[in-house]
Amino acid sequence: MTSKQTVSDAMTARVETAGMDRREFFITTAAVGGTLVMGCGWPRRGDAVGVTTPAAPWYRESTIPEINAWIVIAPDDTVTIRIGQTELGQGVWTACAMMISEELQCDWNKVRGEYASANRDAREEAPAWTLKNPAGPEPSPTDPRGGGGEGDLPATNERISWTGVYRRMTTNRSASVKGNLYFYQMAGAEARERLLLAAAERWDVPTSELTAKDSIITHATTGKTVRYGEVATRAAELEHPHPETIIIKSAHEFTLMGTERLNLDVPLKVTGEAVYAIDVKVPGTLHACAKACPVWGGDVKSYDFDAIKEMPGVHSVVQFPKPDPGLIRGRHFSGGVAVVADSWWRAKTALDALPLEWEYPPYTHLNTENMQQALVESIDEPGQLIYQQGNLEDSMAQATRVVEATYDVPYLARARMEPGNATVLVTDDRVDIWIGDQSPQETRFSASQITGIPQEQVHIHSSHLGGGYGRYGNGPQAEHAVMVAKALKGQPVKMQWTREEDWSVGTTYRAMGVARMRAGLDADGYPIAMDIRAAADQTASSPHRSLVPPGYFFPNLRVTNHFADFHVPCGTRRATGSPSNVFFVESFIEELADAAGKDSYEYRRELISRNDFLFKDDWLQALDLVAEMSEWGTPLPEGWARGIAIDDRRYDREKPDVCTIAAMVCTVSVSKAGAVRLERVDVAFDEGFGFVNPLSVKKQIEGQVAWGWNDVMHQGFTVKDGRMEQNNFHDFPVSRMSEYPREVNIRFFKTNHWLEGVGEEAMSQIPPAIANAVFRATGKRVRSLPLRKHDLSWA
Amino acid sequence: MPFPLIINGLQYVVDVEPETPLLWAIRDTLDLTGTKYGCGIGQCGACTVHVNGQAVRSCSIPVSAAAGATITTIEGLSTDGTHPVQLAWKEFDAPQCGYCQSGMIMSAVALLQRTPAPTDDEIDSGVTNACRCGAYHRVRQAIHRAAALMSTSPTGSGEENNDV
Repeated sequence: MTSKQTVSDAMTARVETAGMDRREFFITTAAVGGTLVMGCGWPRRGDAVGVTTPAAPWYRESTIPEINAWIVIAPDDTVTIRIGQTELGQGVWTACAMMISEELQCDWNKVRGEYASANRDAREEAPAWTLKNPAGPEPSPTDPRGGGGEGDLPATNERISWTGVYRRMTTNRSASVKGNLYFYQMAGAEARERLLLAAAERWDVPTSELTAKDSIITHATTGKTVRYGEVATRAAELEHPHPETIIIKSAHEFTLMGTERLNLDVPLKVTGEAVYAIDVKVPGTLHACAKACPVWGGDVKSYDFDAIKEMPGVHSVVQFPKPDPGLIRGRHFSGGVAVVADSWWRAKTALDALPLEWEYPPYTHLNTENMQQALVESIDEPGQLIYQQGNLEDSMAQATRVVEATYDVPYLARARMEPGNATVLVTDDRVDIWIGDQSPQETRFSASQITGIPQEQVHIHSSHLGGGYGRYGNGPQAEHAVMVAKALKGQPVKMQWTREEDWSVGTTYRAMGVARMRAGLDADGYPIAMDIRAAADQTASSPHRSLVPPGYFFPNLRVTNHFADFHVPCGTRRATGSPSNVFFVESFIEELADAAGKDSYEYRRELISRNDFLFKDDWLQALDLVAEMSEWGTPLPEGWARGIAIDDRRYDREKPDVCTIAAMVCTVSVSKAGAVRLERVDVAFDEGFGFVNPLSVKKQIEGQVAWGWNDVMHQGFTVKDGRMEQNNFHDFPVSRMSEYPREVNIRFFKTNHWLEGVGEEAMSQIPPAIANAVFRATGKRVRSLPLRKHDLSWA
Repeated sequence: MPFPLIINGLQYVVDVEPETPLLWAIRDTLDLTGTKYGCGIGQCGACTVHVNGQAVRSCSIPVSAAAGATITTIEGLSTDGTHPVQLAWKEFDAPQCGYCQSGMIMSAVALLQRTPAPTDDEIDSGVTNACRCGAYHRVRQAIHRAAALMSTSPTGSGEENNDV
C-alpha cells in the first residue's frame, strides 16, 4: 500500500498497522546464584495512566502534606523542594533549592529536589504573594525589602501564562536565578513563617521570641527546641495571616547562597541511576523511530509499508504532518513518518528499510555558498537600524585611515548528547508525557493543541536533560511524539530520534552570519567612526546581542542588522547572538589595534576609558584583572601567543542595568605545521554582589571554555541541496579531553549590579580570544570560522 | 535468536536479532539504562561498557559477538556508588548534564586498571569520550584523585564488583 501525502487535518497523523499476530517474547534472566527471574519484554496493551516514572528517585507523589506548593517536610526532617526549572547540567536543581533553603533556614544536608508539576501549574493560580517582587520592578541589591533579579518578569510569549502556581517554569535566557530569585525566596520564607507559627502555637509564645536555624526552632528565653519535622504537619494546616508583609533577605544578608555546594543531582549521575527521559520505560510501551523530510518545510510524498510490515517486531507506521509553527516559536519543520515496533532498534532498522519519498519544498537549490552570497548582498541594503550616535559618514570622511574587514560564521547546532525523545500516552481525556524539556508549560500547550485535550488534563513528567543549551532550540520532539501517540490512542509510545535526525533535521541552529566592519581611525589609530553591519537568517536569535550599546568609545557609530530569509530553522543556542557578534567586534578591535601598532590590552583599555557608560569601571576592572592573571606582556616561547576579549551580554533595551562582564585571555601554541593547541585560559568573571552556588559557576565557565574552543576551532554546519551536510560526531567534531587546556584559571570580581547569568556569559569571548592569539602567533588573520578550514602553518 | 550474556555477574538470555548492537540489548531488553545511546557509530563513547575487561563502545558490536563474554556496565561498578572512581567523581562534582558520564567513568576505570597512575598525556589518550558540556577539567582531576584513592585503599584495586 502506498500512502499519499495529503493530510486533511493539519494536526492528524495517519497510521498503518501490521497484523496483530506477534508472539510474546520473554527475557529469561538467571542470577548466578540460581534464582530465576522472569521479565516480560513484549508490551502488553497497558493503561499507564497514573504510572510514575519508574526508578526515578527524585520523582514521587508525596503522601506528606505540603507546607506550600514548593516545600514538603517529612517527620524525619527531610525537605523536599519542588523545582520549576529543568536540570541540564547547569546546576539549576541545586541553585533553586538553595534560593528556597536560604529563607527556609533548613538543614541543607536534608534537602532533596523533585520536579514541580506542570499539570498542577495549569490548574492552580499562583499565590498572590509570589506575584510581586517586594523590591519592585527595578530591584537594587541592597533593597531593605529584599527581592531582586529581574523583578516582575513578564511572560515572553502568549502561549505561557506565568500566573500559574509555579510561575515561570521555563529554563532559558540565563534566567533561572534572576527570573525566580524573589519568589523562590518568598516560598522559603512563607514556609518558615508557618513553621514558626506552629511552634508558637505549641508553646503558646509569640513568634517574635522564636528563631529558626538548620531545621530547628528555638525559643530564646526557655531554650526549648523543636525540629521542623515535628511541626510540619501543623504548619501545613496553618495559614499565614499576612504573607504580603513577609520581608525576604536582601543580597548582602545571604548565608547559604554564595557558598560552594556539591550538586544534588550528581550522585545519581555517577551510578547510572539518574533517569533521563530516554531511560523511561512505561509498562506496555511501543517504540517509535521518527524521520522527517530533511529539507525543512517538506513532507512525505509516499512510503511503502508493505515492504517492512513483516520485519521483526514491526507494529505500524505513523505518518505525521508538519508541526504547526505556532507551537514551535514560529519555526518551520517537516512532516515525516515514524515506524513503531516492539523495540527501538527494530523500529530504526525497519525505518531504514522503509521505501520513502519526500515531497521537497522549493529550497533544494540552497547551499552554503549561495546563502552566504545572499547575506553579503543584504549588507549593501540599508538594513534595520539598531543603534546610532554621532554622524558616521562625515566622521568617516575625516578619518586618517579606514580599515574594513568582513567576517563570517557558520550554522551551529547545540549538539546535545541525549537525542530527542519523549514517551507519550494519549487517551480520550488525558495526555501523559515523559520528557526532559526546557519549557514544560509550552509543551503542555502544544500537547493540548494537537490532541484537543485541555491543558488541565496534560501531565508532564519531567526528567533531567542530557544537555540542553537552548530552550525550544531542540526542535519538535514533543510534537512528533504527541502526534504519533495520538494516532495510537491508548498505547504508550516512546518516540526517539536517531543522532542523525536530532542534529541535522530536528533541531534549530545558531544562524549563519556575515558582518562587515568598517572603522575610520584618527592619527593615533583610534576609531572616530565605526560602521557595524551584521547579517544573518531572518530567524536568528537576538542578532544585535552584544553589539550595543558599545563598551568601547566609538564617537560616531551606526549598527545595522541585515537579514536574508532562509528556510533553516534558527533558534536560541547558548548565548544566542553574542558568540557571532563578539567574534566580529573583538576580532576587528584586534585588527584596529594591529593597524594602530598598539598592544591589544592597552588599546582596549584606552577605548573603554574614553567611553562613558554605566559599567565602565567594571569593564576596566575585568580587563586589568585578566591581564594580571595571564601575565600579559611577559615573554612566551616561539609559536605561542595570547589573545584577549571582553563582553558583558547586556540587554540594551529591556534591562540596561543587568549584565555579566567577563574578560578572557587565551594562550595558544601553533606548531609550524599549523596545529593549534589551547594551552591556558584565564577568566576574570563578574560576581555581581554574589552568586548562588560558586561551584556551579566555575563548572559553567570551565564548560564554556570547551564550547568556545569547539565554536572557533572545529564546528560548522554547511547546507547542500537545502539540507544540512553534517549529522553526527564524525563530521561535527566535539573536542575531547586531549584538547582541553591543562590550565584554566578563574577569578571572580565584585560589582554592584544584578547578574545577567552565568551559564552562557563566558561563551562568546573564547572564540575571538583564540583567533586573536592565533593571529599573533602566525600572522594569519582568520575571518571565516571554523579555524580548522584554514592553513595555519608558519615559518 | 537467543544469546547468553553475563552482565554484572548475572546471566541473561536475550532473544533478539544477531546484529542488534549490544547497547540495545543492554538498554532496552535488559533495562540497564545507565549505559547511554549517543551516536550509534562508535564515536562519542556514551555507551562504553567493559567486555572481558576492555572498554568497548557497545553501540558498535553486535550482540552475537558479545555472547558468552563477561560484561560490566556502570550498574556493576559498585552497589552503592563507592567505587573509587565514583567517589572521586562526586568529590570534584565532575558531571554537568551527566549523560556521557557513565561511559566516561567506564573508560576511566579501564584506564586505571591498566595504568594505575596515569599522566595527563595518558589520560588524554586513554579517555577519548565526548562530553558536550565540557566537563573535562574536573574529569581529569577526578581521574588523578581516583588513582590516589586506589593506590591507598586497603582493599586496593577498585576491582569491579561483580557480586551484585
